[in-house]
Order: sequence, then C-alpha cells, then structure tokens
Amino acid sequence: MGKKLNKKDLWKVFWNQMTIRAANNYERQQNAGFTQSMIPVIEKVYETDEEKKEAYERHMEYFLTNDITSAIPIGISAAMEEENANSEDFDPSIIGAIKTALMGPLAGLGDSLLNGTARPILASLAISFVQSGLGWIGPLFFVISMSFVSIGTRYLGVFQGYKQGIKLVDTIQNSGLIDKVTELASIAAYMIVGGFIPALVVINTPIVVGSGESQLILQETLDGLMPGVLGLGYTMLMFYLIKKKKISATILILLTMLVGVAGVYLGILG
Amino acid sequence: MSIFLQALLVALFVTIAFIDSHTFQTHIFRPIVVGPVVGLIMGDVATGFAVGVSIELMFLAVIFVGTALPPDPTISTAIAAAIAILGGGGTELAVATALPISFIGQIAATFQNSVINIWFMHKVDHAVEKLDIKGIRRNNMIYPMLVNFLLYGVPTFLAVYFGSDFVAQIIRAIPDKLITGLSVGGGMIGAVGFALLLTTIKSKRMWPFFLLGFFFASYLNVNMIGIAMLAVVCCALYFYFKLDDQNNHN
Repeated sequence: MGKKLNKKDLWKVFWNQMTIRAANNYERQQNAGFTQSMIPVIEKVYETDEEKKEAYERHMEYFLTNDITSAIPIGISAAMEEENANSEDFDPSIIGAIKTALMGPLAGLGDSLLNGTARPILASLAISFVQSGLGWIGPLFFVISMSFVSIGTRYLGVFQGYKQGIKLVDTIQNSGLIDKVTELASIAAYMIVGGFIPALVVINTPIVVGSGESQLILQETLDGLMPGVLGLGYTMLMFYLIKKKKISATILILLTMLVGVAGVYLGILG
Repeated sequence: MSIFLQALLVALFVTIAFIDSHTFQTHIFRPIVVGPVVGLIMGDVATGFAVGVSIELMFLAVIFVGTALPPDPTISTAIAAAIAILGGGGTELAVATALPISFIGQIAATFQNSVINIWFMHKVDHAVEKLDIKGIRRNNMIYPMLVNFLLYGVPTFLAVYFGSDFVAQIIRAIPDKLITGLSVGGGMIGAVGFALLLTTIKSKRMWPFFLLGFFFASYLNVNMIGIAMLAVVCCALYFYFKLDDQNNHN
C-alpha cells in the first residue's frame, strides 16, 4: 500500500509546475514539464522502481494546454496517482484519458481568459497609468497583477485540482461555471476594447475640402459627428480581415505601417 | 556606465525575462516592463517608457495559441529601446525597428521548440528510464533555461554593443516624411490588436457592450480607468439581472 500526499507534497508539486513549458517542444510539447511536476507525487506514493518508472513514462506522453491552467490537470493527476497507488482496482489508463480530455477546454479557457482578457486589460490599464504620468506605477501594477493571475491560478489549480480530483471534471462540465465566467469575461472584454479605441487607435486626416469661407475641414466634421470614428472604422476593417478573410495579424501589422507611410506621402493622413 | 556594461546588463535582463516567460510568468517579459527597465540601464527612462508603451500596444492581443509562436515582444522591445536611446531617433523609429527584430526572436523561439528542446526532452526520456530524478530536473529545467542566454541574451548584447553607430547612421539617412508615416502607422496599429481580441471573445451576443464602451469614451470622454470601472459595473448588473431572471423562471 502506498502513502497519502500531504500539503507539503502539494507545495512541491506547485513549485515544479512552474517548469511546465521550460522544455516546451514540438514533438510532445509540455510532457517533460508535466513529468517534472509529478516527481514529488510519484516519489511519495509508489514503493517499487517498476511502479515509479511506469508512472513517469505515463506522463512523458504528449501534453499541450495553456501553461497556467495546466496546474489543474497536474493537481488532478496527483490525486489519481495517489488513488492508483492505494487501490487495487484503479485503472491507470484513466489518468492519461482525463489529461487528454482536459487539454482542449483548459487551453481554450486559459488562452481566452488569461492571455486574451486579463493580460490585454491589465496591460491597457498599465499603459493608461504611464500615460497619465504615474511612471513606474504602470509596469509595477502590471507585474504584480499578472503575478497574481499567473501564480494564483497555478496555486488554485494544483490544490483544488487535487482536492476535487476526478470529481472536478464533472463539476466543471455540469455546473455551467464555464458558461457564466465566459459571459462575464465577454462583457468586460467588449467594453474595454470599445472604450479604449478612441484613445489607442488614433487616426487623423489633414484633408480640407474647398477653400476660403466654404472650406470644410474633414477631421473637425468627423469629430462633430462621432469622435474617434476613423479608429472605430479601421478596427472594424481589421476585424473583418482577420475573421472573414483569415489574414494573419502579423501581415496586418505590416500593412498598417505601410498605410501610415503611404497616407502621409499622399497627404490623406497626418 | 560603459556601453559594454550596459549591453551586458540589457542582455542579462532579456535572459531573465525569457526565463520568466518560460516559468513563473510574472510577465516582466512584456514591453511595458522591458522598455522602462532598459531605459533605466541605458540612462533614459522617459524614452524607455515611450518605446515600451508603443510596442506593448502593438503586441497587445497577440496571443500564444496552441503551437503557433507569435513575433517576440521581449527581445524587440529591449533592442528597440536601447537603439532609440543610443541613436536618438525617437520612439517612432524604435517601434519601426522593433518589428523586424521581433521576427528574429520568433525564429529563435521556433528553433528552440523544434530542435533544442526536443533534444533535451529525449534526455528526460533517458533519465526516466534510469529513474534519475536529478536528470529529469536538469534536462527539463536547468539546461533549457541556460540556453535562453545563448538564444536571446547573446544576440541582444551584440545588437546593443555594435548596433548603435550603425543604426545612428541609418537614422540620419531616413527622410522625415517616412518617420511621420511610421508614427501615424504606429498610432493605428492598436486596431489590429483590438480586432484580434474581438475575434477571441466567446459570447458573440454581448457585442452591444462593445458600442457602449466606445460611446462612453468617444462622446463622454471617459478615460480608460473609467471604462474599466464601467465594465465591472456592467458585469455585476448582468450577473444580478440574469440570476433574477433565472430565479423567476424556476
């Protein structure tokens, strides 16, 4: 019979989880990091070298999800390895199956909530702090809040993942929790993007129509109708090109720089 | 400080930033942090901030999804900020140089994932075979982290140490209109990041909140912190009303 994991072991798992993408590779992605994360578990719960080797090899299989949310399957795997060591009729192939089942949803959740929502919003706030003259407060705020997001999520993932173990999979899928969080995150992301466009997508035109008394300064007219409308329009155009025309963001960044230069030479932007 | 020491410190910071991005992810590798820190090392914090903010906007929503590697924001910000300070070419030029450098960083990262780390991962396989726990840690953590210095630190050092005179010459040869154009383009580049962010939003029917945010900022001049506050209020309202709705139906 094997041993049970205690808090101290889970803290060791938590620290080892930090290396999840340290040796990230295109062959089997985060497998080596996952294996290192399981060292404290495998060394504790198994007695024989044979059992240990079998467990390590299990985690050297392909694994890819978001770096930060990977803490959840690691916590769950810790619970399952412990269960495997302590019970006669546990089928260890379940461990790999559950890991694989969690890869997709957790990658989606992690990429959209952490990289797609938390990071851009916190970075935008940090930028606004810098622009309003707060200097180092901006980057400091960004690093502290992102550390909280990154390290806090890992902590919750390892400890709660272990606690909930196999149950967690059902809980997440059946409670509608993901739906609720997704809706609220979408509201926040939409508002932030919409609200930041006037300040952060700046397009001005020096075009003047007519002359003398009847001359019309295009920019003033546009500002009278809707300030920032050119920025809004350009963002919508980019959205259309990425979403419908599948043009990569990298190309659009290059194109935007070209449009800027061409616009200045042609006298329509300035 | 001598340029040798400055280049070395920038290279060391870049290496540490990459180690952070591969482990703890406190996000010191983002332009908003790299810019000011490099500014501090190079003796011009204001330019460091300006470059950091511009490049952060450029990379605002470039997301690492699955196996695709984005252009690298860290090394490009570090070199761009150093060059802007040494060459005195201003932020616009630094941002324009950042883009080509970011592709070099992307190529280095691709090489790391497709060659170097596969080699280390097979070493981990062998360590598992022999139940060599230290071997697992060495090949998964220690060696790949040291490689970051060679892959990202050394090129940064060379660019900062040898690049300044060379870049300064190029800067003098660039016409003013081009620089204005680059700065105009730089002002528009946020649109790409925001558009990319819009494509990742899950609940599409929440889009009216996009216009709500825009109108508050556009007509009412609410600043960015105010918009973030409003977003929190909208989330809370939506949460309460929806819960209410669900309770009434039950």
